[in-house]
Amino acid sequence: MKTLNLFGAEGRMMYWSLRRYMFNTVAMVVVMFLIFMGMFWGVKTIGGSGVTGDSLDSMLVGYILWVSAMLALSNTGTEILNESQKGTLEQLYLSPLGAHRIFFFRALVNIIFNFVFITAMLYLSMAATGRWMTINLPYLYGMVFISTLSLVGISFMMGGLGLIHKKIGSLNGILSFGLIGLMLLPTYPVTPYAFLPFIAGAAAVRNSIVHGASFPLWWYAFIAVNSIFYMAMGLLIFKKMETKARRLNKMSQY
Amino acid sequence: MAESCIQVKDLTKTYADLTAVNNISFDVRTGEILGILGPNGSGKTTTLKSILGLIEFDKGTVQVNGLSIKKERSRILTDVGAVLEGARNIYWHLTPMENLTYFAGIRGMPKKNIAERAEYLLESLELTDVASKEIRQFSAGMKQKCALACAFIHDPSILLLDEPTLGLDVEITRTIMDWLLDVVEKEGKTILITSHNMDFVEATCKRILIIRKGEIISHETVRSLKEKFARKHFVVDLTTEPPETLLESISTLGSVSAHGNSLKIELDAVEHLIPLMKAVERAEVDMTDFRSVENDLEDIFLEVIREEEK
Repeated sequence: MKTLNLFGAEGRMMYWSLRRYMFNTVAMVVVMFLIFMGMFWGVKTIGGSGVTGDSLDSMLVGYILWVSAMLALSNTGTEILNESQKGTLEQLYLSPLGAHRIFFFRALVNIIFNFVFITAMLYLSMAATGRWMTINLPYLYGMVFISTLSLVGISFMMGGLGLIHKKIGSLNGILSFGLIGLMLLPTYPVTPYAFLPFIAGAAAVRNSIVHGASFPLWWYAFIAVNSIFYMAMGLLIFKKMETKARRLNKMSQY
Repeated sequence: MAESCIQVKDLTKTYADLTAVNNISFDVRTGEILGILGPNGSGKTTTLKSILGLIEFDKGTVQVNGLSIKKERSRILTDVGAVLEGARNIYWHLTPMENLTYFAGIRGMPKKNIAERAEYLLESLELTDVASKEIRQFSAGMKQKCALACAFIHDPSILLLDEPTLGLDVEITRTIMDWLLDVVEKEGKTILITSHNMDFVEATCKRILIIRKGEIISHETVRSLKEKFARKHFVVDLTTEPPETLLESISTLGSVSAHGNSLKIELDAVEHLIPLMKAVERAEVDMTDFRSVENDLEDIFLEVIREEEK
């Protein structure tokens, strides 16, 4: 129950922040809408009448995967940096529920908000262009959610480093670019790349939605275990770094 | 005697080659306000953060409500609130009400229980009228009152305050002081304060801990400190700044310091009073006031520090 209240608090915080920085929120809506419209019209213009629905599906799925991955990857590191700069980080550490739970639920709220926002923009774009897609959104979001948990784990590792070293933007950039390249690697049937975070899940989503491929249940179980492993490792490293930050009294310093 | 709700024993914290806190022990009794005084870098904040578990100390034990901070920090934090120095503590882009709701939420409080408690705190700290305004527009004093309210939202029995009146004007300091005294008296809360504001500490704390270079050099009640260091000063107000000749002639009578047109003198013996008056007369400066003043906490604090340095 207490955890649910924490989740509610993070949800409200996101709502208040979106409302408080209304200009930024509106700009975000406009930019996202333009990106979606660009994808819809761009595919039609470049591909002409011969373009298939697969091209647009592929582009949209790729975009959703990319946005979700970037968001999950940078979340905790960025949040720790922000809280540190705002001077509120130590207050989060005074929560009896633990700062790791706060940051986990914050990441969760961000992912969920991202899904809702993308869906709204997607339907708005479909209504504006009159071109309706048949993407299985529950499957897409379910898979993206499970896969991105592994990146949330990586983000926790980065957050832990952020507690000690404060500025970790460069590392974040390297990981983001690295991930784009890694997402092109083959994973199924099991290749060594499948053990990397997110890659197997992203490939499964792309292949099943765009190319209609189907996978056995054990493959989905493998993806889930991969995510749980990285999430657990992320939390473990975060807690270790947290202890080190406490020992060095780095919690309050920026 | 009330039982202790915070027990610090042999606490030691070292950073590289600097010992911030060296083997200190003390306790905070339930329902009291304990003040920690000390010069900058004396180890006050390290002590406070060690009690909160924000700093991992090297040696010793810290127990809050009978629980070890190293083993049961989460349980301890359900009954402890804190306002830390050098940090904002609250979100300036939110309103006081939003901050209270958020901090209650991250402590696991259900939303339905928050409103009543938040309204009570806003009212008691005179923040009701600005409850829906963005905090970034507030003065430093109002921001600090919001931080206090947020630290108190989950109704903890223990509150730790690091320099709560730093940079605040007299009026706000008085409001915060009255509020703290009120919550201790009416709700039986326990408060641990670190401060440089001697008047504030004297007015709020019954017991005081003086720390210097990470060690406790005095641990007494304000009353016993005052008795121990009870000395009378004489203050002589003149129409002009005291001439050098006067300062020279009275320097043998005791400890003398000049502040503008005033002289502050601690006589070595009462018999020196008449030579003092004669010296002033000889200097041919007009005297506008002559009064005796008791040692205040600031004098005592400086004296304790000076004695320790000898």
